[in-house]
Amino acid sequence: MRLFKKSTKYVILAVIFLIFSFPFLWLLSTSLKGTEEVFAFPPKLLPSQPNVNNYLEVWKAAPFEKYFLNSIIISIISTLTNLIIASLSGFALAKLHFKFKGIFFLMVLSAMFLPREASVIPLYVITLNLGMADTLLGASLPVAVEAFSILMMRNAFLSIPDEIQEAAIVDGCGLFKLFYKIMLPMTFPTLTTICIFSFIGAWGDFLWPIIVLKSQENYTLQVGLSYMLGTFAGNFKYVAAGSILALIPVIAIFIFFQKYFEQGLFAGIGK
Amino acid sequence: MKRESTFLFFALPGAIFIFSFSILSIVSLVVFSFVDYNVFSKPEFVGIKNYINLLSDKYFWACFANSLFITIAAPLLVILSLVLALLFRSNYSRNKFFRAICFLPSLTPVAIIGIMWQWIFSEDYGILNYLLSLLGISKVKWLSSSPENLISVMIATIWRGAGYYMMIFLAALSSIPKELEEAAQIDGANKIQIALKVIIPNIWNTVVFVFVISASSAIRLFSEMYVMIPGLPTDNKSLVYYLYTQSFEKFKLGYGSAIAFVVFLISLIFSFYNFKLLEKKNNF
Repeated sequence: MRLFKKSTKYVILAVIFLIFSFPFLWLLSTSLKGTEEVFAFPPKLLPSQPNVNNYLEVWKAAPFEKYFLNSIIISIISTLTNLIIASLSGFALAKLHFKFKGIFFLMVLSAMFLPREASVIPLYVITLNLGMADTLLGASLPVAVEAFSILMMRNAFLSIPDEIQEAAIVDGCGLFKLFYKIMLPMTFPTLTTICIFSFIGAWGDFLWPIIVLKSQENYTLQVGLSYMLGTFAGNFKYVAAGSILALIPVIAIFIFFQKYFEQGLFAGIGK
Repeated sequence: MKRESTFLFFALPGAIFIFSFSILSIVSLVVFSFVDYNVFSKPEFVGIKNYINLLSDKYFWACFANSLFITIAAPLLVILSLVLALLFRSNYSRNKFFRAICFLPSLTPVAIIGIMWQWIFSEDYGILNYLLSLLGISKVKWLSSSPENLISVMIATIWRGAGYYMMIFLAALSSIPKELEEAAQIDGANKIQIALKVIIPNIWNTVVFVFVISASSAIRLFSEMYVMIPGLPTDNKSLVYYLYTQSFEKFKLGYGSAIAFVVFLISLIFSFYNFKLLEKKNNF
């Protein structure tokens, strides 16, 4: 009976492992196959002669280095903008008193109610009028700042006792120095969490870039890959290799910053 | 006082961003839904014409129905992610490994999710149809007929979301006092009884919360569908997909805004439901 229980447990674990890892592994296996094997039926589980040709060819099949570079640029602009704005605003909302604070806070709260899917049309018109349509700036800036990140930074600053601020000011520390040298370092865990989620969000963004980016040389990886997928079925081996390459940064971040993910989810429960 | 102006240095950048890209968006969304606008010529006020057209647009209703159908994913996600959380809640290193495996899909870019699954569902070369053929089931048209296409997109979104919601459940589970379960155990309750009678009532708020956010994101589904089933006729698509084609392929931005406003209203209902919980967590 005990043995039976134990073996059912392992079967369940094996099934869960297979379900969640198979799509990744299957894509990886496909990316290492030659053309004939990719479209073989019945499908071959493993490539008979694994080779990295597709990984080399994908750079020639499309302006793939452009896609990669664009994705990196867009993700960095979005992440930095979000970090700077969220920490400045979070500090203002938590620690400063000024005239329109109530209105500002209300604006941040209402921004959380507007889902991206519903706002793309006005965002597109605004971006068009700013002359940023079909540019990397246009693909990043309008969607960079997350109201939720501001809220997270506000909470991080709120948790710092007021005495620290008061003591610093008594010691003659200026406001900017107080913010930059004393307060900001104390919010480091929250900053890191926002940084990670912001980068991964921008890296994987799809809806906004396909609306704003029209010329192929401005495509991000995600847009470029879906474009390659749609143009020519024989491309799939390249798309598979390209997708694996596009996954590498995400997996690397996940491995290096694992502890921040649980933390981020505790805080980011409203996302 | 000099103070006020230095304070503005901190608040102003954020206020400008939030105002011009969020607040202005809400306002212009409402305004656009009352005009005819195609980007190239001047917008023309048409009153509630867009909304009236929407009511008699059979494609709109078909897409609406498809999106509703996809929200079947929400209860399935709640059950699946809760089961995963219960399985992997204790902090063994094996469980940590499994949590990571389940969570990874939710970090994966949606386009790549679409690419992976359209390959698995591929009708002629896909591994799923091959496995089914071993069981004697003939070729399923996962990507080209309805409702199979909706089901395949739904499976992809469930696979993507399960690990994310599992993490939310894990956070909630860690807040249940140990004594409760121990007491039930001493009283002779088995694991399933404990889960149903002790654990779930204790995290009921989180169950509702996860249901609401997964339903709300299911109804806004777009990207997976765009990648997986681009070729199908309009009445096989989701609400946001219809919004996208009307606005950015046909450039009927006014009409698209009316659809977007419906999407906004639906998610507003969902958001209000969850606002209370968020309020408690973030002490506004």
